[in-house]
Amino acid sequence: MIEAQYIDDIAAIWAKRAPDAVAFTFGDATLSYGALDAGADRLAQALWANGVQTGDRVGVFVDKSLDSALAIYGIMRAGAAYVPMDPGAPVERLVQIAQACGIKAMVSQERKQSVFEEVTARVPDLTTVLASDGTPIHAALKPPQPVDLRPRAPDDVAYIIFTSGSTGTPKGITHTHKSGLAYVRMSVALYGLTPDDRLSNHSPLHFDMSTFDMFSGPFAGATTVIISEMHMKLPASLAQLIEQEWMTIWYSVPHALIQLVERGALQNRDFSALRWVVFGGEPMLPGQLRAFGAHTPNARFSNSYGPAEVNQCSFKHLDLADLTEAPISIGTPCDHADLVILDDDTPADEGELYVATPAMMAGYWNDDTRNAAAFRSIGNAPARRYYRTGDLVRRDDGGELHFLGRSDRQVKVRGFRIELDEIELVMARHPDVSEAAAVVSGNPPRIAVYITAPPDIDADSADLRAFAAQNLPPQAVPTILRVLPEFKRTATGKIDRKHLAEASDV
Amino acid sequence: MSDQTALDPKSMIRDFIVSKLLNGRAIADDENLLLSGLIDSLGVFELVAFLEKTFSIAVPLDEVVLENFTSVATIEAYVAAKKA
Repeated sequence: MIEAQYIDDIAAIWAKRAPDAVAFTFGDATLSYGALDAGADRLAQALWANGVQTGDRVGVFVDKSLDSALAIYGIMRAGAAYVPMDPGAPVERLVQIAQACGIKAMVSQERKQSVFEEVTARVPDLTTVLASDGTPIHAALKPPQPVDLRPRAPDDVAYIIFTSGSTGTPKGITHTHKSGLAYVRMSVALYGLTPDDRLSNHSPLHFDMSTFDMFSGPFAGATTVIISEMHMKLPASLAQLIEQEWMTIWYSVPHALIQLVERGALQNRDFSALRWVVFGGEPMLPGQLRAFGAHTPNARFSNSYGPAEVNQCSFKHLDLADLTEAPISIGTPCDHADLVILDDDTPADEGELYVATPAMMAGYWNDDTRNAAAFRSIGNAPARRYYRTGDLVRRDDGGELHFLGRSDRQVKVRGFRIELDEIELVMARHPDVSEAAAVVSGNPPRIAVYITAPPDIDADSADLRAFAAQNLPPQAVPTILRVLPEFKRTATGKIDRKHLAEASDV
Repeated sequence: MSDQTALDPKSMIRDFIVSKLLNGRAIADDENLLLSGLIDSLGVFELVAFLEKTFSIAVPLDEVVLENFTSVATIEAYVAAKKA
């Protein structure tokens, strides 16, 4: 294991050890460890020259490419925290994120100019946009202040990943260099990553699983193959890429894997280089895993569990021959994690899962209310903070954990966390909406939104659909949107969401 | 069929994408349709079903690839080649 104090040290250490080894590839382009490290330095210098200081936040607004790697390593090298901004998100969402954590500069691409200029126009403090090589691509409106950099510390924030929030505003999961590296060390050891490995990067930066591809692979001196957005949507092209790039490690949400199975993209493909197929983020179905396994003669399989707030904290290595139709367990705790199940405040074998680990977030960005609810101490170790996952689990006689559901209305769609409450609150802002009810149904899960309009208003579902697309992250935009004359109610007068979910499941 | 064939294939493809898959967002013929926020993976296969039905062609999975499906222009060229 290398000795890294900051996440971006990974680039510096491998640049000394193996400068020509390939850290990242994208299409025909490659980035060696030497080039990654030099690029990080160059971007850091440019950020400082534009007034970015230690502890600032810098947005990353790029399509998946080598720019993704250069941007995040350069921002961290500057002593700032990177904040991924989904290139597919509506401007409204990007502005919310920029304002929520006071983004001072952005790293982007020229082809995204029309969008980032809409964002900078609406966020007065955000004046600087640089390309990943440090070139300014949006003129600063005010001259940079002289920079007097304070020294860095391992407890500085490294990155903030925004996720769906039930109050209608996104919440920023804030990780430090220390918590990020604690996860990286654990995952490198758990999957035995080496410089010979080739990792498939499915996840975009705004999805927390990307830290495995962007940090754990490089920590081991391996090569991470960045997969374009286009490949992710075309199963035949993706399967071809996995084979051609001779990938050894697959790490994704089940959806990416299931797509290949269901579309029949695995026929005549040689996936013999794959040695680990790791999935997480939502439950995987045994049948689909078996179908995938038929094409990967040398792969081992592993289920990874852990909310973005704590990173991976449990695992289940699987032998496909032993797989039954029973749901796949989320396994046993990782070495560095302490998992406690509480039922009504008492330790139990079934209840809500709490996690303490050095890989746990520092907290939600600038949100005392949410943080007060997210953490607690347990038993006689008051100094130890546990994170409340909201996941309901059961521990079996063998000590393995099984996911039972959520204690709130959070759902997962293609691995992304979605708060149904948030969708309802956003839709209710539209003047033609009296009440909104969001439900999820089907497999794969789809979001359906039902609304009622105020009297005398003839709500137009096309208009409401456009409103949803403008105000919600792409994965939360409903597949089904219908205007109803009135809602069916439960005995207590609440909207009967169960009825709506069943009605949507056709 | 007569009212449909009044439109050229490119316009029909573009109309379907804009109205059914992009919530009315306008697109250029050479614009990459598969970048974030545009057509998603389910949308790709809705488009495939539309092409098969509208142009009476079979679109096998191994032809649903980058070369053929990145823009209105490449999709039109692909359909034209299939019809030829």
